[in-house]
Amino acid sequence: MKLRIGIIGAGNMAAVHADGWEAAGDSAVAVLDADAQRAAELAATTGARVADDLDDLLRSVDAIDICTPTDTHLDYVVAGAASGVAVVCEKPLARTGEGARSAVAACREAGVPLLVGHVVRFFPEYVEAKARVVAGDIGDVAVVRLDRSTYLPAGASAWFKDPARSGGVVHDLMIHDVDYAAWVAGSVTRVYARLAGSIDGGDHVLATLKHEGGAISHIQASWAFPVGSFRTSIEIAGSEGLIMRHASDPFRSLVAVSPDVPDVPAPPTSGESPYASQIRHFSYVLRGKATSRIAPEDAAAAVDVCDAIATSIVSGRAIEIGEKL
Amino acid sequence: MIRVGIFGVAHIHADGYLANLKTIDGVEIVGASETEATLRTGWLDRHTEPVFATHEALIAAGVDAAIVCTTTNEHREVVEQLAAAGVDVLCEKPLATTVEDSQAIMNVCAASDVLLMTAFPMRFNPSIAAGRAWIDEDRIGEILAFAGTNQGRIPTHYAEWFADPIAAGGGAVMDHVVHLVDIMRWWMESEPVEVYALTNRILHPDVAVETGGMVTVGFDNGVFATIDCSWSRPDGYPTWGGLTIEAVGTDGVFTIDAFAERLDVWSYGDAMWTDWGSDANQAMIDHFIGAVKGEHPLEVTGADGLRATEVALAAYRSVTAGQPVDV
Repeated sequence: MKLRIGIIGAGNMAAVHADGWEAAGDSAVAVLDADAQRAAELAATTGARVADDLDDLLRSVDAIDICTPTDTHLDYVVAGAASGVAVVCEKPLARTGEGARSAVAACREAGVPLLVGHVVRFFPEYVEAKARVVAGDIGDVAVVRLDRSTYLPAGASAWFKDPARSGGVVHDLMIHDVDYAAWVAGSVTRVYARLAGSIDGGDHVLATLKHEGGAISHIQASWAFPVGSFRTSIEIAGSEGLIMRHASDPFRSLVAVSPDVPDVPAPPTSGESPYASQIRHFSYVLRGKATSRIAPEDAAAAVDVCDAIATSIVSGRAIEIGEKL
Repeated sequence: MIRVGIFGVAHIHADGYLANLKTIDGVEIVGASETEATLRTGWLDRHTEPVFATHEALIAAGVDAAIVCTTTNEHREVVEQLAAAGVDVLCEKPLATTVEDSQAIMNVCAASDVLLMTAFPMRFNPSIAAGRAWIDEDRIGEILAFAGTNQGRIPTHYAEWFADPIAAGGGAVMDHVVHLVDIMRWWMESEPVEVYALTNRILHPDVAVETGGMVTVGFDNGVFATIDCSWSRPDGYPTWGGLTIEAVGTDGVFTIDAFAERLDVWSYGDAMWTDWGSDANQAMIDHFIGAVKGEHPLEVTGADGLRATEVALAAYRSVTAGQPVDV
C-alpha cells in the first residue's frame, strides 16, 4: 500500500522530496503552498492535487512532509501532530531550540512519528565514516574536523537570506555538521564560534565544540566561498586511528566554471541521491520496517547547539549547552 | 669564517641543522654540546663532529654563532650563557615555557647586543611566502578568517621530553600553536589579542600532557583564526604530520598545504611521503648565518618567538577558564 504524502511548501526541497517519495513507492497526493502557481506546478509534476488549505491536506494524507521556510516548521509540525498524521520535516526542525523541543513533545504526546531531514546522515561517505567509528576502527573519537564551504545562492529566496527566518548560515548550513559531529562524537556540551560576513552577505563561521566524553570538534560552515564552489570534508582522529575524506571528487574538471550555477548547490554523488535514500528510509520507518536513524531529540539538540553557536558569535563567549540564552 | 656550535641535541632538529650548516660556505662547525651522556653517545654514533659535555666547554672552544636545541625549559639558561659570551643565537621554538623566560631571553640578547632569532622555518616555505604575497596584493580581498592545521604524530617517537610538562611546558598546544600564530602575524602584521582553546587527552592517554587541541585566536585587526594543533596523526601515518592554512577573504579563498611537495611512496608494505621540494630549514639556517655575517637584518626575531609563545600560554589559561582570554 502506498503511503499518501502531503507536501507542504513547493520550493526546491519539496520537488526533491516528492521525487524521493515516488522512488520509495509512495506518492505525494496533495501539495500546499501560499503561492498557488508554484503549488500547481509541483502538483502537475507529481500527479498530486493542490490542497484547498491545511485542514483539507491533513484530512487526506498518512504523513505530511514539511518543506517550508524554517520559521514556519513548528506550526506545521504541531498541526500534523494534532491531526494524528506522521510528520516528516526538513531540517532544522524549528527556528529555535525551544521550538524544536516543543515540536518533539507535541509529536510524542500525539503518538505520531517525527522524522527530521538531517540528510548528511544519508550521504554515503558520512555513513561509512560513522560505521567505521561504530566498528571501533579508530578507537575513541578525539578530534573531529568537518567542513561545508560554498556560496550564497544568488537566486535564494528572501526568507533564506533573512537570518530572522532561516537562522542564517549557522542554522541552515552548519547544522548539518553540528548534527553529524554529535552523531559520531557524542552530545555537545559547550560551543565557541566566530563569524565574519563578506560584502555580498555570504557569512563564514568557524566553531569549536566540546562533547560529552571529551572529544573536540572543529566545524567550518561558509557561504563566503567563490560562486560555483562546494566543498565538504571529514576528518575524525581517534585513539587508534584516523579517518579522512577530503574533497577529492571522483570526477574533477579543469574547465572554467559556468556562470549558470545552481541555486542550491549540492555535492555530486554517484549512486542514489542521499535525499532519495533518506526518504526511502523514512518510508520504511513509517511502515514499521525500520527504526529512525534520526531520533527527534537529536534534531532538537542540533537546533539547541546552533542557538548556542549564534549566541557565542554575538556575545564573544563560550556557551554551555543548557545555559539560558 | 663563522664558527658555529649546536647547543643541546635533545631536540630532533639538531641533526637536520647540522646537515644544513654543512652546505654553507664560510661556516666552520665547532661541534655540539650536551649534558646528557646518552644523547652524547647517540650523537657520536651518527656524526663525526665532537660533542662537549658542557655548554661552557663549547663556548670556550670559540663560537660566533649558536643554534640552541636543548629542551625548551633549558633555553633561557643556555641563551644567558651565550649572550654573556657575545654569541649570536638561533633558538629552537617555542622560545621558552613561560612568558617570563621568553622575555628574559629577549632582554639578555638585547643587553649583550647579540642577534636572537626564533626558529620559525615556515617563514621560509615558498607556499607560506606566496600566502604573504597574496595578502599584500589583496588577491582575495579583505581577509576574514583563517583555518589552520599543524597536526602531527606524537613526537615522543623522537624524544620523550616533548610530552613532559616541565621540559616542554605542555603538549600539543606548546608544540604546534606557535608556527601558525607566527605565520598569521607575519602575513597581516597584526597581533593576537584573544584566545579560546579546547584540549583533551584521548589520543595517547598514557602521556601527561594534552594531545588534542583546538585554538581560536582573535587578532587586533578583527580577523579570527582556528589552529588545530593536535597530535592526531596515528602511528603508521606516511609522514610526521603537516601544516595547512585556508584563508577566506571577501573576494576569494586560498588554501596552502605547506608540505605538498612530496611523493607518495610504498616501500616493503609501508606507505611514506618523501619530500622532493624546497627545504625551509635550510633556508632558515642560511638566513641566520647571513645575518651573523652582517649580510642582512634578521627577518625573524626573539619578539616573534615571545608573541607566539604568549598565544600558546593564553590557550592554557583559556582551557582553565572555559572562556576566551586576553593575550
